[in-house]
Amino acid sequence: MTSQIRAGQLMEKLSGQVGGAELYESRSQETPVRFRAGALESVKSVETIGRALRVIHEGRVGFSTTTDLADDKTLVQNALQSAQFGGPAPFDFPGRQPGPSVKCFDPEVEEMETASMISLGEEVIAKLRAYDPELQVDLSVSRAVEEITLLNTSGLDVEDRRTYYNLGIEVTRTRGDDIQILWDSASSHAVGEIDAPAMVERLLERLRWAERTARVETKAMPVVFTRLATLCLLMPLGQGLNGRFVYEGASPLREKLDQQVIDPRFTLVDDGRLDFASLSSPYDDEGTPTARKPLIEDGVVRQFLYDLKTAAQAGASPTGNGFKAQGAGERSYHLPPTIASTTRLVLPGDQSLEEMLRGLDEAILVQGVIGLGQGNVLAGEFSNNVSMGFLVRKGEVVGRVKNTMIAGNVYELLKDRLIGLSDRGDWVFGVLNTPAIAVDGVGVVSQG
Amino acid sequence: MRDRILKALEGSSAEYTEIRVEREWRSRVVYQGRDLENLEASSDLGGIVRCLVGGGWGISVFNSLDELGARVEDARRIAELVSSKVSEKVELAPVEPVQDEVRVSLEKDPRSVSLQEKQALLQAYNDLILGHSDKVVSTRTRYTDSFKEVTFASSQGTFIVEERPDVTLLLGAMAREGDANVQLAAESLGWAAGFEAAEGQEEQAGTAAQRAVDLLSAKPVTGGVYTAVLDHILAGVFIHEAFGHLCEADFISKNPSLQEVLKPGRKFGVDELNVVEEGYLPGLRGNFKYDDEGTPRVKTYLIRDGILEGFMHSRETAARMGAVPKGNARAISYRHEPIVRMRNTIIDQGTVPFDEMIKDIAHGIYACDAFGGQTELEQFTFSAGYAYEIVDGKVGEMLRDVVLTGNIFETLKKIDRIGDDLKIIGGSGGCGKGGQYPLAVTFGSPHIRIQNLTIGGRAA
Repeated sequence: MTSQIRAGQLMEKLSGQVGGAELYESRSQETPVRFRAGALESVKSVETIGRALRVIHEGRVGFSTTTDLADDKTLVQNALQSAQFGGPAPFDFPGRQPGPSVKCFDPEVEEMETASMISLGEEVIAKLRAYDPELQVDLSVSRAVEEITLLNTSGLDVEDRRTYYNLGIEVTRTRGDDIQILWDSASSHAVGEIDAPAMVERLLERLRWAERTARVETKAMPVVFTRLATLCLLMPLGQGLNGRFVYEGASPLREKLDQQVIDPRFTLVDDGRLDFASLSSPYDDEGTPTARKPLIEDGVVRQFLYDLKTAAQAGASPTGNGFKAQGAGERSYHLPPTIASTTRLVLPGDQSLEEMLRGLDEAILVQGVIGLGQGNVLAGEFSNNVSMGFLVRKGEVVGRVKNTMIAGNVYELLKDRLIGLSDRGDWVFGVLNTPAIAVDGVGVVSQG
Repeated sequence: MRDRILKALEGSSAEYTEIRVEREWRSRVVYQGRDLENLEASSDLGGIVRCLVGGGWGISVFNSLDELGARVEDARRIAELVSSKVSEKVELAPVEPVQDEVRVSLEKDPRSVSLQEKQALLQAYNDLILGHSDKVVSTRTRYTDSFKEVTFASSQGTFIVEERPDVTLLLGAMAREGDANVQLAAESLGWAAGFEAAEGQEEQAGTAAQRAVDLLSAKPVTGGVYTAVLDHILAGVFIHEAFGHLCEADFISKNPSLQEVLKPGRKFGVDELNVVEEGYLPGLRGNFKYDDEGTPRVKTYLIRDGILEGFMHSRETAARMGAVPKGNARAISYRHEPIVRMRNTIIDQGTVPFDEMIKDIAHGIYACDAFGGQTELEQFTFSAGYAYEIVDGKVGEMLRDVVLTGNIFETLKKIDRIGDDLKIIGGSGGCGKGGQYPLAVTFGSPHIRIQNLTIGGRAA
């Protein structure tokens, strides 16, 4: 391909001019299919190209991006101008290192016809409507093929082709002023990893449980966090384990390496090389090989996440977590690399969810919340509205709880109030696999 | 470019075709503590074609503008496939064709201000925050600018070239005391203006730093049900999140049971409650003359005198619901098709002075500023940046960790006082919907009082 050569040429040209340079190029071909209110709404063909140039010049970092591959001049000029006044570069670009073998490409995704994505959407909608014809179903299914080129002046030369497959389902049930929204999504590098019938079954189970509503009292009580809701607990932990916040002194875990901080039954792993997981790749976006590593093992802090820069600052090794990412999962060529987790795994416990619930006189089973990331997350605080939660007494689902907030501090709850972890992990968006996590003493405030 | 676009439009055999091409120049400076995290100047160029065939949409997105005609054909072909599957054909409400060129004149065009000047400006604010107190241990500061030239053309005769400037400033401080007490506070600012808007904000930097320090000794709120007074920022976020999103017609137009709930004419609040969506407030963040379907942006009432009046529409939802589109179809970039979005969502001016509003509250909460908010139609939640106790009609001690939640239908009815001090805010973040984030919007309100509001927190 012509621009591939030009990417290499650009590297050669720059190698004499600057201390170091890194070129990241993404070419992507994506086909999103959207259904609204149960009917096909649009199909889109998205063909995008983007190039990011990072340079180190006289110890400073410069960064620029463009979509106009014909205009190398502006890109180089912008990056050099940025490097003139940019932040210090305590690191060098890494050379070639052997990367792990990770499956990120599925020919079935590449060859998928638009018509079969439409059929999948129609089947899912039909199953949901068979339960209740009044359900409003919005759905998106998309496939993408992305070619990544990552070159640097230290000799790194990574070329990677990845496929992406994604299914998102949103169901709205309106009964008078009572509106419920339930949603789920899954993503993977491979078609076979996404189990649409199981997603539908889980949505139906929640719809059945929500047929009745239940009242809860305002008090401290056990809460069983499942699926999306586990992020109430895992999001603060994720920030606490971020090497940047550790180096900055803002993480409550900053001086806790190799110390017991939470219950010994809790283990959290960051895995960058799990086959077909949507966040897996052989290298991160800076060319560091990805790895599987426990972050918290049996309640002991084992590892913080680092990219090249923060690793150098902290005197640690990069962990293969330097990604062009921001916010909740956005990844794009145009972002500068920063620390981002890869697939997170919470290791399961030994009790089934049903047994766990039977052992509790009264608990709220929370599957979904809104307002994630609100409040003082770094300090371990969470405070969320329960968007999908059920009152459970001795294993019996009483009904859906409404107008209810849950709040607490993760570090306190997971240290002293962990009831247990269920024996089976569930996928959340294809980026997290976690069992149900039950803790006591969660602040519950409810108006009904 | 004009000729190429017109030629590509002429070549389309779809019933409706539109082409939007965007060229963007942007820069960004980010500090975290003393670390300059990013200093960047970048550019972007790309386009999107939408075709309507037999009531179905086909869309094509691309960076290379070399073969515009082929991209139109891609979109038309996809639309044809979609049309064989649609159950309800898409129609578009009529809008007058427009020929316009909207050029802006900026005091300091960010494209001609050096990257060094931008870095120096943010560094000065960053230093001010770091130097404010020993307790300030880090910062989150960010300057961004973007200048877009958007060309929109449709097969119905509209051709618009519009320049869209955007400048934002985030001034965040992190304070720490002891081991575990870490507090964040930020001032978040944004304008449809040039570099000059971001200058002279030293006072805001000091405000953010002082607030982070004050929060260290603030009491965590005790969860419960309170009479709450919301400041203009939090009330603005509330009306945007909890009510604004509900009035976006793409949610409603295909959902008959939701249309029953949201019936125009239904009483939603006290007579004094007016909620408006301003179309075009020049200079305020995200304010441009046209939306991304070429519709002029004009004011619309969502609630008038406490009664639900109307919704926000795209041409498609307007046609379906028999309404007139007023310029709410927006896209964050050429990578996305326009969807129904807010612009400037405001609780309109009332008459009650602040002191009057709090004087008969025995024990309540004065909640200010917003860290964010989210809604799932009827349920909403939003968090205050900081808050105060109200005791015996007076503002008392500072509180933190205040998260408010409720049910929108009940909560709007519980607004019983509307202040006389409306302010409109254009922050540095933006609104997210349908994978499109951040979209520049403003929101605003006077102080408002809400009875019996649920506030989350540790149980008493």
